[in-house]
Amino acid sequence: MSKLTIGFIINGQKKTIETTTSTRLLDLIRDDLHLTGTKEGCGKGECGACTVIMNGELVASCLILATQSDGAVITTIEGIGDNECLDPVQEAFIETGAVQCGFCTPGMILAAKKMLEENPHPDEEEIKRGISGNLCRCTGYQKIIDAIKLAANRLSSKNGGRSEKDD
Amino acid sequence: MKKQGRGIATIMFGFGYGEGFPDHAIASAEIEEGGKILIRTAAADVGQGVLTIITQIAAEVLKVKPEAIRIIPGDTHLTKNSGSSSATRQTFFTGNAVKEASEGLLSNIYHYASIEFRSNHVELGIKDGYIFRNDNPKNKLSYWELAERVKERGDSLKAEASFFPRTDIPDPKTGQGKKVYVAYTFVTQVIEVEVDTDTGIVEVLNVYTAADIGKAINPKNVEGQIEGGTVQGIGMALMEEQVIKEGITLNPDLTSYLIPTSMDTPHFATLLVENEDSEGPFGAKGIGEPATIATTPAIANAIYDAIGVRIYHLPITPEKILKALKEENKRGNKEGF
Ligand code: FES
Ligand code: FES
Repeated sequence: MSKLTIGFIINGQKKTIETTTSTRLLDLIRDDLHLTGTKEGCGKGECGACTVIMNGELVASCLILATQSDGAVITTIEGIGDNECLDPVQEAFIETGAVQCGFCTPGMILAAKKMLEENPHPDEEEIKRGISGNLCRCTGYQKIIDAIKLAANRLSSKNGGRSEKDD
Repeated sequence: MKKQGRGIATIMFGFGYGEGFPDHAIASAEIEEGGKILIRTAAADVGQGVLTIITQIAAEVLKVKPEAIRIIPGDTHLTKNSGSSSATRQTFFTGNAVKEASEGLLSNIYHYASIEFRSNHVELGIKDGYIFRNDNPKNKLSYWELAERVKERGDSLKAEASFFPRTDIPDPKTGQGKKVYVAYTFVTQVIEVEVDTDTGIVEVLNVYTAADIGKAINPKNVEGQIEGGTVQGIGMALMEEQVIKEGITLNPDLTSYLIPTSMDTPHFATLLVENEDSEGPFGAKGIGEPATIATTPAIANAIYDAIGVRIYHLPITPEKILKALKEENKRGNKEGF
């Protein structure tokens, strides 16, 4: 197993870290950086629990080698808000009761954020499609869908009814 | 061709271990420094919301804001047995234990305050964590100030309680018993589906649920349990099938063992029937497992209603539907001749 040093920006912070060629990005995030908000469900790209945003794209971090993230910009759930200052999507999840066991939640929230960036006014079908790569065993999805609707409404009224992208 | 159908199913579910099992829960409540009331319980919250429920119960009984409640959950060093998070029992069992412990603490608050105020408890009032004489509400003591005074007396302001209901072992011959379970939850679901007779694919359109849960301590939470349980029931009805051969699971992943995704979520309408049960905390009953049981038979009935063929083996996959339709066609053709 050969070791090598990689560098990337994660949640706005520059990191240089030693890793191996067989380390998954998921393990680097959880075990080396101790950012345990990102979860491992299936380890096969099927469930979305390990979702992070890398270079603007949603990715399953269980399917990516750590070395592939060299030079990348990564956002995990820890990067979008914290207990003192939650992201509007996180707030909406809490308010609507969209969190039960919470295992799918970090991935769901990142998927929702990404969707709302691309489509600030999604209808119900678009929301369903937008999170269809993220499995949830607890909620039956309805409260998650409600949360995303609520967040979309709030975000668009904050932007005077317009999204940042429209500007 | 797309055909629509509607099906109904009703279930009853006895929750808790029942059948004479020594099922019980213990909890305690105490005034702790820093303006909090500490509840200890071993109840495990695996997402079903029991910690939210007991926070609400303690806050309601002790007449404080939910923010004033702190919980130490599930620590074998610091908490006593509350039983498992299974059998749809935590709201009922630990909910009752927390309610009783909170009531015990409230009684002690009255007791010690009546000593402090040199007054009888009926002359005392309580509001937002303060206790006072009704004829002089300005001269009030917070629970925490009172706890200090109680401490000076060498005592402490706390209470422990348990809920340990009796249930009967059913008669082995008749299966009957006087009270086999602590209570029963009733759920009826009406489900509408659309079956594509060319592909065999079933789409669940609408799910109407009426659930007698006694009292919804947290209605949003109850709805969440019902929606989650229903979608698991949809999985059981239409897609989830573990294939085992010689003790080995042949489909141990989520591409060969399918579970519902957001695309499978139907439209929900839920009616909570709050027919308070005398023994539950504030009349509440359990909803965890009952939420999932009616869904599968209601879907099977709806499919029958849509295509006129009954399928007896779960899951009702597109292959099974197409095969059943083909057989039905053959039979129909024969009868036609
Ligand atoms: S853990 Fe990566 S998709 Fe399931
Ligand atoms: S909340 Fe448990 S998996 Fe989604």
